[in-house]
Parts: sequence; C-alpha cells; structure tokens
Amino acid sequence: MNKALSIRQNTRQHGLPNFGNLGTLLRILIICNSLALLQAIIMSDSWLDVAQQMLQINTLLTPVLLSSMLLLWLIQPWLNRISYRYGTLAVMMLVVTVSVSIYHFGGELYRPPERIDSYFDLVRCGLLSAVVCGVLLFYFRLRSKMLSRALSDARLQVLRARIRPHFLFNTINAVLGIVRTKPKQAEAALEDMADLFRMAMSDAQDLVPLGTEIQLSKQYLALEQLRMGDRLSVNWHIRDVPDELLIPPLLLQPLLENAVYHGIEPLTEGGSINVTLNRNADRLRLKIENPCPECADLSHQGNRVALRNIRERLDLLFDVEASYQVESGKDFYRVEVIFPFVSRAKERAQS
Amino acid sequence: MNDVELALRVFIVDDEPPARTRLRDLLNDCGAQLALEIVGEAGNGREALEKLTSIAADVVLLDIRMPQMDGIELAQHLNKLPKPPVVIFTTAYDAYAIKAFDLRVIDYLLKPIRLGRLFEALNRARLAVPVQTEVLRELLPEPRRNLSIHERGKIHLIPIEQVLYLRAELKYVTVRTAEREYLIEESLNALEKEFLTRFVRIHRNCLIAKEAIAGFEKGGDEGESGWMVRLKGLEDLLAISRRQQHIVKEFSRA
Repeated sequence: MNKALSIRQNTRQHGLPNFGNLGTLLRILIICNSLALLQAIIMSDSWLDVAQQMLQINTLLTPVLLSSMLLLWLIQPWLNRISYRYGTLAVMMLVVTVSVSIYHFGGELYRPPERIDSYFDLVRCGLLSAVVCGVLLFYFRLRSKMLSRALSDARLQVLRARIRPHFLFNTINAVLGIVRTKPKQAEAALEDMADLFRMAMSDAQDLVPLGTEIQLSKQYLALEQLRMGDRLSVNWHIRDVPDELLIPPLLLQPLLENAVYHGIEPLTEGGSINVTLNRNADRLRLKIENPCPECADLSHQGNRVALRNIRERLDLLFDVEASYQVESGKDFYRVEVIFPFVSRAKERAQS
Repeated sequence: MNDVELALRVFIVDDEPPARTRLRDLLNDCGAQLALEIVGEAGNGREALEKLTSIAADVVLLDIRMPQMDGIELAQHLNKLPKPPVVIFTTAYDAYAIKAFDLRVIDYLLKPIRLGRLFEALNRARLAVPVQTEVLRELLPEPRRNLSIHERGKIHLIPIEQVLYLRAELKYVTVRTAEREYLIEESLNALEKEFLTRFVRIHRNCLIAKEAIAGFEKGGDEGESGWMVRLKGLEDLLAISRRQQHIVKEFSRA
C-alpha cells in the first residue's frame, strides 16, 4: 500500500519536495523572484533602474528555473528511490549544470561582449545557483519536518476528537437502554461502534476507498440516530462519484460529528444535515451543511479544534491543491472541502 | 417517619429516548427493594416544567446536557415549584459540572448509569433537601436562557431575549415584555451581573435591553437628566438618571 502515496501528496519521507506539486512550484518561483528583486534593488539607483535590472536578471533566471523544474519533475521517480543525501546532491548538480550551460550557451544574451573574465562569470553563476538551490532545499526540508510533526499531532487530535467522551458514554448508555427491548438493534449498534473505534485507533496513513469512508460515516450516523431518534435526519447527495476513489481517511466522519454535536443536538426539534459529494474534474468536492443555532456566538472551541485539524491535514497532503471553506450564517453552517483524489486504476498504473 | 412508607415519586428528564428507557428499566429493578413510582418523563426542559406543575414528584432524574435549556437551569426553575423536588443530575461526560458538583456535594450519576449507584442516590434523596437556587446559579457558567415566573400555581418561562426592561419595585422586580408585565422575586443587582452583556442600567432601579433601544428623547417634565429612552414595541418612555446620562452618547452613536 505504500504506493498509495502516489496521489499528489506533498511530503516525501526524506524531505525532498515533490516537484510535481503546484504548491512546490509556486513556492520556488516566488522565493527565487523575491531574491532576484532584492538583488535588483541593491544594484539600482532609481526605481526605473530596478525594473531594468529585474528584466536583466529574469532573462537568465526564468529559463534556468523553468528548465530545472521540468527536468526535476522528469527525474522525480528516480529521486524518490535514492536517499535524501544523494537526492540533494543530484538536485544541486542538475540545477548548477542547467544554469551554467544556459549561461554559457546563451552567449551574448547574458554577457556584454567587452567582458573578458568569462571564467569568473561562469563560476559566479554556478555558485549563486548552488547557494539558492541549497537554501530552497533546506527550506523544503524544514517545512516537511514541521508539517510531519503537525501530522502526528493532528492524528492524535483526530483520535481524541473522535472518541469524544460525550459520544462514547452516551452511546453505551443508549445501547444499554435498548438491550432489553430491542436486542437485535443493540447488537447492530455494538458492531457499528466496534468498526468506528477500530478505524479511529488504526494508524494507517494510507488512502482509503471513498466507499469505506461513506460506510463508516453511515455507521456513525446510525449510532447517533439511535440516541436522538428522528431528531436527526441526513440527506446524502452523491453524484458521479465511484466508491473506489481513494481519499485520505477520516475526512468525512469528523465533519459529520461536528455537524451533529453543534448543529443538531442543541435543537429540541432536531434538524437535517445535507451531505453533497461530487466530482470536479480530478477533484472531489465535499460539502456538509447543517443548521447552527449557536453560530451567533462563536465561543465553541471544540468545533474549531476538529476543523483546524482537518485543514492542517489537507494542507500537509495537498498544499494549495486542496481548498477548504467555511461559511456560516445566522442559522446555518457550511463546510466545503475540495481536494484531489486518485482512482484505483490510476494507482495501479503508477505502481 | 411516616413518609418512608410512601412510594418515592420519580420523574425522568432526558432528551434521548433510549436513555429514558434505561432509567425506567433500572427504576423498575430498584422497585423490588425500594418503594417507588415513576410519575412521568419529559424530553426537554420546557416539557418537564409544564408536567411538573401538575404532577407532584419527590425526585427528578435530570440530564445536564439537553437542547435549549440545560439541566442546571431547569433545576433552578424547578425550585420555584411550591414543593420543589430533589434533583439527581445525570451526565455522560461534563468535566466542568462534575468538578463543581463534587465541590458542593451535589448528587449526580454518570452514564452509563449503574443500578447500585442509582439505588444509593434514591435512598439519599429521601432525606435530602433541594439544592439552593444560589448554588445552582454558581454552577452555571452562562446566564440562564429564560426567566421563570411563578404565577397562580403555574410556572411561566420567559425567554430572556423577549425581556425589554427590568425594573425594581418595593419587593419585586417587574419584567416587561412586549405583551405584558410579570413580577419576580430576584434582586436587580444579581440580574444585572448575570445578564451583563444583554442589559444596561439607565437608572438606580431600571435595566433595559440594549437590543430594544429605539431612540432617545428630551423629556423635561419628570426626567432627572431630561433624557428619556424609547424602547421598541413600547409606548411609554423610561427616564435616564443623571448618573447614567453617558449611555445616551454611547448608544446613539451605534
């Protein structure tokens, strides 16, 4: 299952960035251009001059960046197989080679013809690109380290949030309440509980089929319905989404738990939760909408903990390729999550 | 004592049907050794209060976390009954409340509820007296959602957002809603403290709802400062005392 990571996830085990990820590319472009701007400002004596200098720097920088990134993306599968140490070395060498050769073969485009010491220019070009490349790699390594700690923290939080003591004890109490009169239903409830807790306590980092996550969420909702009776109703709108799509586990269920805890439970008459799942090109769009009597006062911390956790996991897994939106009005609350998925077929092809 | 012979009348309040079933089962089990009678049950605070004005109960088993009105607030309103019942709180998990209960030796049962614990609690309840309203108020971190008024043997709940102003009379406080006035036996100072965010004092004897302010007018004749406040949905103006004049500025800007 380790090949499940082939979804465009952002962190590699050893800290080299994924050059196919849009977030990584954007970060590289922005950082390099900021450095270039700094350089342009240092060398200039007027604002007009800054623009000129930027142009000058970019005639070299842009081709170097683009071709390096293209090549890195191409050799990514190979980079993933070697150790971090060699990977870094390979990336640096590739970048230096690209920049020196572009500089060299670009000829008079980059060099005023009167310059004689072309050896110095070449070395300077190579040195600069090596330093910038090193700084970037260091940055990505730090970032992935920081985020992987966030991941384990997040998992702990998910665990804690999911086995919300309130939910555990109330459900046991409810099962005890029906065990004499409806033993069959009590059995089913205990089975659902076992499944739910097994999932919560497993430390599988892999992707799971969407169908499994939906199934788990329905089991969870059945338990809540046992307690709340017809106060809780859920409408599923699933369109054009095959069950075999792979998604990160425990995305849907915690969002539903929030909707129940903060949206339905405080209402005497209860209410309904709307779950919408559909496809948007190669992304999955998940929308959960629930009434929210307490939305007016936003003092509900528990809510934010669970949501922050999911947001962190999405950031970590997909960077800018996932989006996350919360919208709340006077009496409703809506969470919308969009993220890339992989299909089974695609995964098989890649592995 | 004579009433030991009498059956203990128990009332159940919980918003979850299976939780009520569980309590009924356990109470029936207790019945073998303890004379008791289940006199009724309710799924929320309002329903409980309505039923308990006509049904007499000695003990109320009361869930803490319920929609709209939680158990601790309901217990305060129940204390207004002519013969307030003894309350035994039930809760699945509520770290804050449990700590507070232990501190004040208030009885509670943890869900899932055990037969033995329920039996003990019922036995203690026979001799116990209801927890005082003041103590319950300390337990509640948030202000009540309703004021309760005892009137001709019934208890009215008035949602706090319907209250336009509160005015201290000799012994009572007048509660004014758009429809009518009620009298409650509470102190204006305590009310001011509890509902600090909702009401503002305009006079030594009067708090008005900030949301209800419609405008300010200069009315010379009786006003100490000359300023009067107009409230939404009310004909009469209320005088603002000289000391509270600053609120005219504060609220007309907003």
